[in-house]
Amino acid sequence: MAKQQNSVFMIGWEYPPHNSGGLGIACEGLTQALSQDDTKVHFSLPYESGHGVDHMNIHYCVHDNWRHKDCDCKDKSGKCVNVNCEPPFFAYSQEVYIPEQPELVSSNSGYSFDLNKLRKLSSNQLEKQVTEYAQIVGNVGLNNNDFEVIHAHDWMSFPAGQQLKKETGKPLITHVHSTEYDRSGLSSGNQYIEHIEYTGMHQADHVIAVSHYTKKLLEQRYGVDPKKISVVHNGISELAHPVDVGKHHFAPSRPVIAFMGRLTIQKGVSYFLDLAKEVLKEIPEALFVVAGNGDMYHELLLKTADGGLSASVVFSGFVRDEQRRKLLNRADVFVMPSISEPFGLVALEAAQRHTPVIVSKNAGVSEVLTNAISLDFWDIKKMASAIVDLVTDVDKSNTQVAGQLEDLSKQTWKSSAQKVKEIYKNAFLGYKK
Amino acid sequence: MANVCLYFELHQPYRLADVSVFDIGLDKEYFTRQEELNRKIFQKVAHKSYIPMLTLLLKLVRENKDFYFSFSATGVFLDQASEYAPKVVTLLQKLVKTGQVEVLSETYHHSLASLYSAKEFEYQVKEHQKLVKQLFDIKPTIFRNTELIYSNEIGQLVEDLGFQACLTEAVDRYLGGRKRTQVFVGKTKNKLPLLLKHAQLSDDIAFRFSEKAWASYPLTADTYMNWLGSYQNSEVINLFMDFETFGEHQWEDTGIFKFFEVFIKQSIKQKRNKFLTPFMVIQEQKTFKDSPEYDIPEPISWADVDRDLTAWVDNSLQRDSLDKMYQLEQKVLSQKNKDLILDWRKLQTSDHFYYMCTKWAADGDVHAYFSPYESPYEAYRRFSIVLADLKERMIET
Repeated sequence: MAKQQNSVFMIGWEYPPHNSGGLGIACEGLTQALSQDDTKVHFSLPYESGHGVDHMNIHYCVHDNWRHKDCDCKDKSGKCVNVNCEPPFFAYSQEVYIPEQPELVSSNSGYSFDLNKLRKLSSNQLEKQVTEYAQIVGNVGLNNNDFEVIHAHDWMSFPAGQQLKKETGKPLITHVHSTEYDRSGLSSGNQYIEHIEYTGMHQADHVIAVSHYTKKLLEQRYGVDPKKISVVHNGISELAHPVDVGKHHFAPSRPVIAFMGRLTIQKGVSYFLDLAKEVLKEIPEALFVVAGNGDMYHELLLKTADGGLSASVVFSGFVRDEQRRKLLNRADVFVMPSISEPFGLVALEAAQRHTPVIVSKNAGVSEVLTNAISLDFWDIKKMASAIVDLVTDVDKSNTQVAGQLEDLSKQTWKSSAQKVKEIYKNAFLGYKK
Repeated sequence: MANVCLYFELHQPYRLADVSVFDIGLDKEYFTRQEELNRKIFQKVAHKSYIPMLTLLLKLVRENKDFYFSFSATGVFLDQASEYAPKVVTLLQKLVKTGQVEVLSETYHHSLASLYSAKEFEYQVKEHQKLVKQLFDIKPTIFRNTELIYSNEIGQLVEDLGFQACLTEAVDRYLGGRKRTQVFVGKTKNKLPLLLKHAQLSDDIAFRFSEKAWASYPLTADTYMNWLGSYQNSEVINLFMDFETFGEHQWEDTGIFKFFEVFIKQSIKQKRNKFLTPFMVIQEQKTFKDSPEYDIPEPISWADVDRDLTAWVDNSLQRDSLDKMYQLEQKVLSQKNKDLILDWRKLQTSDHFYYMCTKWAADGDVHAYFSPYESPYEAYRRFSIVLADLKERMIET
C-alpha cells in the first residue's frame, strides 16, 4: 500500500453519548480498537456535537436544510450554529413516551438520533434526508481523500457510502448491525428502507454482518452472495465502572428479573410479560423490571394490568449510566426474548456484570455467549423454567456466570478490529485487481 | 318558597412522590418527599378558594340567622389544612360553632373502600368521625360517600353504621321520571333516607357559571332564584358541589363570590328560598313510610357524564391497581409497622385512580385538569412501583 498507515472513511449515524442503542456503542468500540491498531479513522456524523474524541477525525456532516430557521443560536451570517437546538432526524417524531427524568439522562444534552423513530418518516421525507446526508458526506470525503476504503454503518449511511464510492472510486464495505426485517419483528417493514439496504449491500464490495444469524438472513432475505459476507461479532469494552453485584442496589428481598431494550415488536418484550406471569406462579414475590421506552409502551402497560401483573412487573423508563449499571448489577436473571436480534450487545453487558443471561435463539449474541441459555423466544414454558432454575439454584447461576465470563474474555474489540482490517485489505487489494 | 339544601365537599389528596424502580426496598417515603408540591397546591387553593369563601360564608351565617348549609371535609384534607393552612381549620370551627352549619361524615382517606372492603370502609368512617369530634366536637348523623358513590349494598353499610341518611346523585336511569326534589329511601333493611343531588341546578354554578357559550351566561342571582322559584314549597332542591367551585374551578374574576353572596342575601331578604341542612330535611319530614324507593343495584356517583364508577374503575390500569392494593389488606393490617398501614391507606385515596382514567372527550379534560401527571399511563406506572415497594416492605427476610 502507498501509505504506511491504513486509513478508512467511516460513515456513522450516532456516537456515544448521543446513542439510542448498540450501533453507537459498536462504532465506539470498533474505531478505538482500529486506531490502536494503527488505522486512521475518519468518522462522519449527521449532527454537531463535541464528543471529546481523540482517536479519530470526526466530521460533522450537517446539511443547511437541517438547521433552525428561527432560533436564538445564529451567528452573524444568520446561520444556526447549534444544530443541537434541532437535531436533524429526531424532531420529526411526535411520539412521547415516559419523560426522561433528569436523573435518567446523562449530563449531556441527552437526545439521541433514534433510528427507530426515523423509520417512521414518510418515504419522500426520508429519501430527502438520506440524499442530503449523502451529498454532504460526499463533499467531506473528497476533501479528506487520504483513505483507502469506505465503511458504512447500517442503512442510513449506505447511500452516502455509495455516493462516496462513486466520487472517489474507492471500495465500499457496508456493515450490517441490524436490518429492517429484524426491526419489524421478522415481518415486512418499511419498503423504502429495505430497498436502501438491498442496494447498499449489492453495490458494496464487501458486507460485514454482526453474526452468522444475520449473515444467513442477508443471504435468504436480501439475496446477498454468501462469499461476499464476512461475520465480525461485536466485542465488549472493558468496564469503566467496577462490577458491584449484590442485592443492596434495590429490591433486596426478592428475585429481580430484568429486560432492557427498546419497547418494540423486535425485542419480544411482550413475551417477557408472558414469562413473568408464568414465573410468578412458582415465585410469587419475583419482581420483573422492564427498562426502556418505545412505541409499545402503552400497550405493554395495559397488558401488564390486564394480566394482573401490577406491582410485580414495573417499568423504569429509559435507563442509562448509573441506573443501567445498577439494574445489570442487581438483576438475578437477564432475559432477552428478541424475535430477531442481529447481535444484542446488552446481553454481553449483563454477562459482564455477572448476571446469568437467557437469550432468544434468534440472537446473534448466542453465537459468542455460548454459556448463556439460548431458547426459542416463544417457548414460555421453557424460558420460565430456566428463570426459576437460575433464581432458585445458586450453584447453577454461579456456574453459568463463570462460563459467560470465560466467553467474554475471547470477545474483545481488538480481535473484531483485526478481522475488519483483514477485510479492508482484501477489499483494497481486490479493488486494485 | 323553595327549600334549598346546600352541601360542599372539601378534599385535597396527598400526591405521590416519584418513587423510582431503583428506590424499591430502600425505605423511600411516598408522600413526604412530595410535601412541597402538596403544600404549594393546598396553600394556593386556600388562598384562592378556602379562605375567601369560608370568610364569606361566616359573614353570611352571622348576618343571616336563617342561612344554613352543610359541608364535609376528608381526613386527608383536614390533616393538610392543619399543617399547611391552619386558618382554614379555624374558619371551619367558627362556622360549626354558630350552629347553622352541619358537618357530614365520610371516609377519612376519600377512598373507594365501600366497593372493596366493608371492614376497611367502617374503619375509615370511624377514624373520620374521631377527627371530626376532635376538631368540631360533634358527631355527624348524615353520611356522604366518596364522590357520592352509592348502591343498595353501600346503603346497607351506611345504615348499619348508624347514620340517619345518606347523600347521593339523582341518576335519571334509576329515577325513572320521579321528582328528584323529594326524599327517597334506599333498598335497605330500615329504609335509609336518601337526599339526591339536583345535578342541573348544582352544575349551573359548579360547571357552567363561567361558560361563555352557555345560553344563560352570565348567570345572575336573580335568574337563578327564578329557576329555584319554579319548585313547590314541599320540594327540596339539593345543591351539592365541590367547595373549590368558589374561587378555584370558578375564579374570583368570574364573579362567583358576588353571585353567591347576592343569591343568599336576596333569597333570605325576599323570602324566596328556605335554607336547610340535610339533618333538618330529615327532621322536618319525620316519617319515610311512603317515600319512594331508590333501587341502585350497580354503584352510581356524581362524576362525569355517566354518573357511574368509570372515572376510577374502568380500564385495566385502574382495576388491577385497586385489586392489587385491596388484596394486600390482610397482610398490611397484620403488620406492626404503623407507617406502612398509614401509607396503604393514603394510597387508597380515589384521586390516584382518577389520574389513571383514559376516557376521553369532555370528561378527559376534567381528569387532565386535576392530574399532576402528564398521562394516565404515568399515573399507573408510578402507582405500580409504589405498590411493589409496599409489598417489598412486607417480605420477611
